[in-house]
Amino acid sequence: MDSPLIELRNVGVAFSAQRRFGSGKFWALEDVTLNLRHGERLGVIGRNGAGKSTLLRVLAGILQPDRGTVKRAAVTCQLLSLALGFTPYLSGRDNAILSGLMLGLRRREIESRLPSIQEFSELGDFFEQPIATYSAGMVVRLGFSVAIQVEPDVLLIDEVLAVGDAEFQVKSGEALRERMRQGQTVVLVSHDESQVSALCDRLLWIEHGKSVLEGSRDEVFEAYHRQLHLAGTGA
Amino acid sequence: MPLHLLELILFSTYAELRAERSRSYLGLVWWIAEPAMMMAAFWLVFDVILKSGGPDYLPFLLVGLTLWQWMKSCITHGGYAIWGNLGLIRQARLPVLVFPLSQMLADTIKFLCIFVLLLVILWCAGYPPSITYLALPLLFLVTLLFSAGAGFLVAAFVPFIPDLRFIIEQILTVVMFLSGVVFALDAVPSPLREVIALNPVATLLDGVRAILLHAQWPDWWALLKVGVISALVCATGIGCVLRFSPRYPKLAV
Repeated sequence: MDSPLIELRNVGVAFSAQRRFGSGKFWALEDVTLNLRHGERLGVIGRNGAGKSTLLRVLAGILQPDRGTVKRAAVTCQLLSLALGFTPYLSGRDNAILSGLMLGLRRREIESRLPSIQEFSELGDFFEQPIATYSAGMVVRLGFSVAIQVEPDVLLIDEVLAVGDAEFQVKSGEALRERMRQGQTVVLVSHDESQVSALCDRLLWIEHGKSVLEGSRDEVFEAYHRQLHLAGTGA
Repeated sequence: MPLHLLELILFSTYAELRAERSRSYLGLVWWIAEPAMMMAAFWLVFDVILKSGGPDYLPFLLVGLTLWQWMKSCITHGGYAIWGNLGLIRQARLPVLVFPLSQMLADTIKFLCIFVLLLVILWCAGYPPSITYLALPLLFLVTLLFSAGAGFLVAAFVPFIPDLRFIIEQILTVVMFLSGVVFALDAVPSPLREVIALNPVATLLDGVRAILLHAQWPDWWALLKVGVISALVCATGIGCVLRFSPRYPKLAV
């Protein structure tokens, strides 16, 4: 088997509890170990506050671990962020360029994709208007259209699977699933078990910042449900 | 610096200038109107009421305020840039220096536009161009180095202690009065004057005024000293930002 793209070993991340000198720390991630290989679609499950989003930010390279090690092959990892860096007074076009640059694209790469961004977002002539004049749905459509242009080696998705109105949800969800079918390496965080189950072949279950189980989808789901059931009956 | 970051800084600068134009009714008119109103206030107090201005007071004030406005903008806008973009820093892996740099670049472009206008005013007022203008780029470079350095230092700490913002505004007002922006430091009694002369801002202002108003070359030795201080301040500022940069994504917005 090929070597992992990203390897986390006993990773922990601490935040300070308050904006105050000498305030205590809390560990959002305590001890997470995972291996991500090329072409894998890894789902991360766990209850609210388990540290799923923090884990994604570690994978994205935004957060440095306070303990444990992260080994990363020479790959680009990008969190699918909608409307990153959007500025109200700029036109849709300028915001698309700005957001694309922040997501790591080169200027000419975005420029060449502007027509498809305009088309996918269905903004029409609004594309040249300041986004302050947009409805919330329009901003989301533009945000998704820009974000989907970025083609990192590893795509990190935090609940953003389908956005906008019903019609656009189908379209954006389809665009993402198409990306996954093409062999994109993905790490997905979602509460929606049916989504995770449909899109991922491996799962990592974390609880209170610690990895509980990593393995095939069915195996992890089974253990996860057994535990939820036990908790539910008060045992 | 990777090219894509350079593109990001340049485009953010453009975005900042563009947004500034759209944020108010009069847009770019405020670039001129704001310093003009400030100048009018000082002229009223120091020249008309206190009669302490002296013969060349208006051009003196004009040069001082134009330059000071640039320095102050770099320090405050650049200084609050990381704090103001914490939301973004939490979501994207970007070198945080991008944020203060694009703010400072926008302020510098703004300054250069205003400076051209200042030159035209001075020529009309009887202060013709001279060969000493050749030294201006060097003075501007040192000014930028110093203000950017101070801006980076502020930028490094404000995200941890946002309360610093309230203090910084006051400190900058004091620095303005102690730097000969609004009145000549010659008026200050002797022992105090030497202390104030150590202030890099005062030296830079003196240098620019000597060029623009008296066609004199700047004091090279003083400029060298200020240049070294500015480089040190800048290196310290960048060092602090880089050192703290792993901690910014963890801060609450």
